[in-house]
Amino acid sequence: MAYVLRTHQLTKVFDEKDIVTNVSMNIKQGEIYGFLGPNGAGKTTIMKMITNLVKPTSGEIELFGQKLTPTSYNVLGRMGTIIEYPIFYDKLTARENLELHCEYMGYYNKKAIDDALELVKLQNITNKSVKDFSLGMKQRLGIARAITTKPELLILDEPINGLDPIGIKDIRELFKLLSKEYGITMLVSSHILGEIELVADTIGVINHGVLLEEVSMEQIREKNTDYIEFNTNDCNKATYVLSQQLGIENIRVIDQRYIRIYDNSIPMKQITKTLIMNDIDVDSIHQKNSSLEEYFMNLLGGGVVNA
Amino acid sequence: MLKLIQLEMKKYRFAGIIRAAFIANLCMFVLIAAINISSIGAEIPELATFEDILVIIDTLVRATFIIFAGVLLSKLIIDEFKSQSITVLFMYPINRKKLIIAKLLIVITFTFMAIILSVLFLTCAIFLLDQFIDAVPGTLTLEMVIKHGTSFVTGGLAASFMSLIPLYFGLRKQSTVSTLVASIIIVLLVCSNNGGFSLNEIIIVPIILACIGALVAYLAIRNIEHVDLISKSGS
Repeated sequence: MAYVLRTHQLTKVFDEKDIVTNVSMNIKQGEIYGFLGPNGAGKTTIMKMITNLVKPTSGEIELFGQKLTPTSYNVLGRMGTIIEYPIFYDKLTARENLELHCEYMGYYNKKAIDDALELVKLQNITNKSVKDFSLGMKQRLGIARAITTKPELLILDEPINGLDPIGIKDIRELFKLLSKEYGITMLVSSHILGEIELVADTIGVINHGVLLEEVSMEQIREKNTDYIEFNTNDCNKATYVLSQQLGIENIRVIDQRYIRIYDNSIPMKQITKTLIMNDIDVDSIHQKNSSLEEYFMNLLGGGVVNA
Repeated sequence: MLKLIQLEMKKYRFAGIIRAAFIANLCMFVLIAAINISSIGAEIPELATFEDILVIIDTLVRATFIIFAGVLLSKLIIDEFKSQSITVLFMYPINRKKLIIAKLLIVITFTFMAIILSVLFLTCAIFLLDQFIDAVPGTLTLEMVIKHGTSFVTGGLAASFMSLIPLYFGLRKQSTVSTLVASIIIVLLVCSNNGGFSLNEIIIVPIILACIGALVAYLAIRNIEHVDLISKSGS
């Protein structure tokens, strides 16, 4: 598998504070890499290092198989980016901004601008100055700018900030389209788990500048199977009954009140029936999907995520 | 490089800046004409010959365009750092040094051209005015033109370079205010005229200032590939 972007032990120290510590991430060709972490975890700093805006204190970045140096300018032409928040030349119109972008990128397909604006649904207001744009519109324009030149790698920092729910959905579909139709590799950061979960192929979780885990969504889904949870006051008896009569071994007792059954083969109604037949009170019972959220909350040490 | 300069000029709507330079010229013309007309009849020793008028024109024009250069520096460079749009610019596959050099070249060239053209324009305009109302004592001779012509050109060149000094102060604080204040201080230094004496006449002063300006430009470019562009809000 070819890697578009790899970092090796990437570290950045600002004013003797470690902002990013030994991050080694690997982004495969064509995938959407979700970069997840609370605010201030170091996501933006890593993205800035990838785009050469910030130089690493130590460690290496490899882009398209080449080592990134302070003077590697050519690779920058193969990337489309939004870092931190979309920045434009405010006094110019949306179209002028994109034209300028194409000129600087050395990309001379005028139709590309219209295509990009259409993809983010911003056709009608292109002759307005950017300073009159709302954050959501700027975000769309930023994405349009990033994709105009058909880059091989898209780096988008919090691209759904300031978008309304419909906008978020549009952008999500756009990401999937770009990934599938154009084969663009994407690095998308967010602190909103639900969004990342829906688009990413691989997720990198970062907190306090440390990459805690890099895992494919497939693996996560496998790890986190559904379970049935019920509430009873006699856990010991319940577990005994379940294992004896239904042959369920994969049981976990939580807080001496909740029992979780990680066995999809037995339907819920059968479990209820058995429990009642054995005179075990069941206060509540439901089927649950162990959500990603739980998984990541555990990873991040619980509660620290400010979504 | 030409392409980069062109793009910069497009980005900042350069037509507006040139228009502003024209307006500044008209203001200077009105001012000098007013000085001349009001001096009719009165015997002012500072305004005895046409040569004195040339000195006034020269001083006024340099003062105006050194401050103008400060404004340009703020617009083209300082603001770009302040608004973080420099991060967009620096993510293009273009040598950062070239990007900054293009901006500096615009400032220097514009300042120099503006100074020379304005001096020419004002001299001609005052000369024409003089034909009608004879406000200026004495006449403009070819000798004077040649004598002052060379000093205008060298003075203009020096002024264009020294107008870069404010960049140093502006970049340190990413502040347009400090840039403009520095410009004004430079104007006060080299363009003030005390009873016919000006620091600019000690030839070494403008030369040193011009060298400092060039040094500032060099410093701004030298390390640009290695600086971290961080916003003030932190990581």
